[in-house]
Amino acid sequence: MKRLFEVALGILAAIGGFVDIGDLVFNVEAGAKFRYQLLWVVVVGVVGIIVYSEMCGRVAAVSKRAVFDAIRERLGFGLGLGALVSSQVVNLMTLAAEVGGLALVLQLLSGLPYRALIVLGIAALAVVIWVAPFEWIERIFGYGGLTLLVFAVAAIKLHPGWGSVAHGFVPHVSSSDRLVYAYFVVGLLGAAMTPYEVYFYSSGVVEEGWTPKDLGLNRTNAMIGYGLGGFLSFALMITAGALFLPLGIEPQLIGTVALGAQVPLGTIGLILALVGILFAVGGAAIDTCFSGAYNAAQYFGWEWGKYRRPSGAPRFTIAWVVLLVLALLVIITGIDPVMLTEYAVIFSVVALPLTYIPILLVANDKSYMGRYANGKLANAFGLFYLVVILIVAVSAIPLMVITHQGQG
Amino acid sequence: MSGPEELDLGLGILDHQLVDSEGRRCGNVDDLELEDVREGSPRVAAILTGPPVWGGRGRLGRLASAVARGQTVRIPWEEVEKIDSAVHLRRTARELRLGRGDDRARRWVKWVPGS
Repeated sequence: MKRLFEVALGILAAIGGFVDIGDLVFNVEAGAKFRYQLLWVVVVGVVGIIVYSEMCGRVAAVSKRAVFDAIRERLGFGLGLGALVSSQVVNLMTLAAEVGGLALVLQLLSGLPYRALIVLGIAALAVVIWVAPFEWIERIFGYGGLTLLVFAVAAIKLHPGWGSVAHGFVPHVSSSDRLVYAYFVVGLLGAAMTPYEVYFYSSGVVEEGWTPKDLGLNRTNAMIGYGLGGFLSFALMITAGALFLPLGIEPQLIGTVALGAQVPLGTIGLILALVGILFAVGGAAIDTCFSGAYNAAQYFGWEWGKYRRPSGAPRFTIAWVVLLVLALLVIITGIDPVMLTEYAVIFSVVALPLTYIPILLVANDKSYMGRYANGKLANAFGLFYLVVILIVAVSAIPLMVITHQGQG
Repeated sequence: MSGPEELDLGLGILDHQLVDSEGRRCGNVDDLELEDVREGSPRVAAILTGPPVWGGRGRLGRLASAVARGQTVRIPWEEVEKIDSAVHLRRTARELRLGRGDDRARRWVKWVPGS
């Protein structure tokens, strides 16, 4: 019974931890531009992240090796280093964007100056990372992020045309603005399948000492956690589609996202939405920060892990501190977090194949995985998504340039 | 790779994690030293690890090797206890002179309370 309870708690944390600033930005913008037409893309993206998270989690539980171990082993030193550098650049951009989002929400809640709140936010994150055990970090931010469910209530209250919502779940091509539509397809897939999620998830499996006995837990966690996390994405897009599109609002600020809950639900909706966004971007900031440190440590073979205590894994510790400082330097320049998020998501899409190909190879290696190697189903899905990822990776930057970041 | 008894050096050992006798992660297999290749019965003599070794790993390897600090550590093959997803060693990192980067970095971290 206690075990079941723990499983449920872990899943709740995963749901709340799914949404980050990339999901907020792309889902809300997609809703404001194309109403419910892009809902099907979220489904495709969420199934993709479920497939690859399950695979990474399984590899980690069976072999005790996380994603960047696999990348180095399969791509070798040179290409592996290329993968490391590109993933670190994307991690840093994402981390800086999440911190910017965090400071903007704190500003809306407190009225204090933005730059002071950036420094305060970074300091608070550093203290939490230093002091709280791994599981606590996941849970505090995961549960806090569940407050975003207010958007589900908001979406219902806004009385969207459920017929057109249902139609949005059927894959189709838009009749107008085809290139902008394609840009949002790429962005939504990128936001759902951000690579830092698998870096963090697989390393977390090692942190928590999972073994092949936990593979059932791994599967439920990936399916239900990310699946219901995708539900929050639907809510965000539906809210934006029902509210912003008719008014012609193009949400360029994080605060606009929260308006989606305020209009139908009043002040309480606004506060819940802001608190949800606060925990979602705060948790994602920690995930990306850790991911960067995990990746470097795994690539170079350093000792790593929150479970080792800071002095037990000193280079790992220094790596996350350095990343936080760099993120501070990036975001304090006053660069717009929403724009930075879009760049981060689009660049992460380009780097996706270098992350997911090695995982697919390792998950198929019987000498590594024994009887836990990929079955036919996992491979069918894995290969399908590999093709999707390759197409998306090639088209991401051209689409961003042609559409001026979706502005048409 | 055909069966569990066979091991592909390139995929099964090279670039894998080194773990010492106490379970500490202490570097990666950056290169392998082979001997008796010309005699027709090649065998792996040692595992090589450390920034200078990266120089033999392509163009990016040479670049990384030029900027990184650290020495080559040669681990005779006899020190290998077993190989699974990692290469497990018979002795501690300290005895084998591995993980010194982490040892050097520790002084930057250990003065903070709670470390």
